Amino acid sequence: MAAYRIQIYDDDPTAALVTQRGLQALLGDEVIVQATTNANEAWLACANGNVDLLIVDPSPYGAAAALIRAVRTYRPYLPILALTAYDTPGLRARMQALGVELYAAKPIELRELVPLVSQALHQVA
Amino acid sequence: MIERDDAIAYITKLERDLQAAHSRIAALEREAALQARYARDLDRRLAALLSVSAALLISHDIDSIIQLVVQQAVDLFPGTAAAHIYLFEHEPDGRLRLRASAPDHAPAPTFPILAEMAAKAPRALLLNGPELEYVIHQQNSAHSPAINDCLWPQSVLLAPLRIEQQRLGALVICGEQLSHLYHPRDLPFVQALADLTVIAIDEVQQRQRAAALHRDLVHTQSLRAEAEARLNAAQAQLLQSAKLAAVGELSASVAHEINNPLYAARNSLYLVEQDLPPDAPQRTFLTIAQQELGRIARIITRMRDFYRPSRGELTSANINALLRETLELVTTHLRHNHVTVRTRLANDLPPIVAHADQLRQVFLNVILNACDAMPSGGELTVSSELIAARPGAPATLAISITDTGVGIAPEHIPHLFEPFYTTKPHGTGLGLAISAHIVTQHGGRITVDSQPGVGTTFTILLPLEAPATAS
Repeated sequence: MAAYRIQIYDDDPTAALVTQRGLQALLGDEVIVQATTNANEAWLACANGNVDLLIVDPSPYGAAAALIRAVRTYRPYLPILALTAYDTPGLRARMQALGVELYAAKPIELRELVPLVSQALHQVA
Repeated sequence: MIERDDAIAYITKLERDLQAAHSRIAALEREAALQARYARDLDRRLAALLSVSAALLISHDIDSIIQLVVQQAVDLFPGTAAAHIYLFEHEPDGRLRLRASAPDHAPAPTFPILAEMAAKAPRALLLNGPELEYVIHQQNSAHSPAINDCLWPQSVLLAPLRIEQQRLGALVICGEQLSHLYHPRDLPFVQALADLTVIAIDEVQQRQRAAALHRDLVHTQSLRAEAEARLNAAQAQLLQSAKLAAVGELSASVAHEINNPLYAARNSLYLVEQDLPPDAPQRTFLTIAQQELGRIARIITRMRDFYRPSRGELTSANINALLRETLELVTTHLRHNHVTVRTRLANDLPPIVAHADQLRQVFLNVILNACDAMPSGGELTVSSELIAARPGAPATLAISITDTGVGIAPEHIPHLFEPFYTTKPHGTGLGLAISAHIVTQHGGRITVDSQPGVGTTFTILLPLEAPATAS
């Protein structure tokens, strides 16, 4: 069985790296995790069709909202997980309005994040 | 012979003259006696009026003044059967009411008619015999026929009680049945007596008005002081809220900026830990680092909550149920700390529209603080009641949480609800600040009353109707 592909977009490179390495380490061969701080790169990966889960950090400085809208146009059923350091009720509502069904607030622990990710992947399958 | 006749005629004339002189002397003597009697009478009346005026000036209530006047009237006018004073009730258009009589018995039915007439008169009147009868008949059209059945006085003195344009009532004096007639010379005296009475009554009324004004003034001053105190308290609270809001916003932005590095650091350590063998000696310090990062995460979370206290839905909450749930949460903790719990929850409290989770957090904060204040055990009393601060004010729920702990030093009290103010070695200084913020968002107040060495009571006041801003 082919590995799931997870694409991470986070404009904080350290956070992006930790998420990538953490999920890769904890989920093992089941997944291939890629991370980028570039929204265009993330969009390309999703548009190419070889991504099963997009993890987005909707920070106020990044292009998360534009990325989510663009991805939704090409891949309406791709699960998207918002992983944010800027958790507010307003943000939660905006993410819902954009069709983002999964939501987690930093500093979430990896061992709490992993079940969320697994669940999202298995829903796709 | 002629000379003798002349002499006799002369003597006769002299005798006539002497007789005329005698009768003249007698008349003069009678006149003198009469004048002397009048003079004595006048003197007596003057003395009586002076004593009345002296007595009136030192009288302090209307009833004793008019009682004195009617008694003096009976003495002042010999042959008087009764004297009555009628006063208008409250205003000149009000009804006349009998207020004083001497001797003390009810007047005949004709008297109210006479009193009304006297009250309207410009000055004192004297009515005798048929004149009196005529007047009573003329005035009686509107009154009861009963007056025809009773004996009428033959003579009355009437005087209006009036000062400037204000009519106060009437003085009615009546002579004994069938025997006595008053004289017009009595009129100035009855007028003087009435005038004295009015001046005395007016004096008392002015004094009463002045006293009432003074009471009003004192009352107004106390209301004003109270309003000022409330205003000051509201301003202090506003300032405190503004401070809290500013700090809250700052905290929230700091919290958000810290989340990314915290997320990276915490999970990096977690990944390192995954690769370490179970017995690696590094694990001790790794665990410490993780615990401390966990603590930072908790502080950050609370700071973030501070910024958005309105999380969750407004629901109809049962305060007693929330208190019981909160106490259940901490039962074990309290037992370990040898704290016994007493509850005095009012029955039938109405539900309150609130964020139940937030109120639970407030109760939890205060209860845990109370527990911390009793390191060697003690008693925790949780009570709830429905109060109305002032008549007409909206009903308020009061929740009191009392401990028998160490108390709070007076110098800490003003800062208790400030963020980051803490006296505990491991406190964040946010618990009470957040609690106060939550309670304020619900339109309520939180107050503290503490006595070092005796204990502390936190009282949370919540209005039954949440303000619109709480949503």
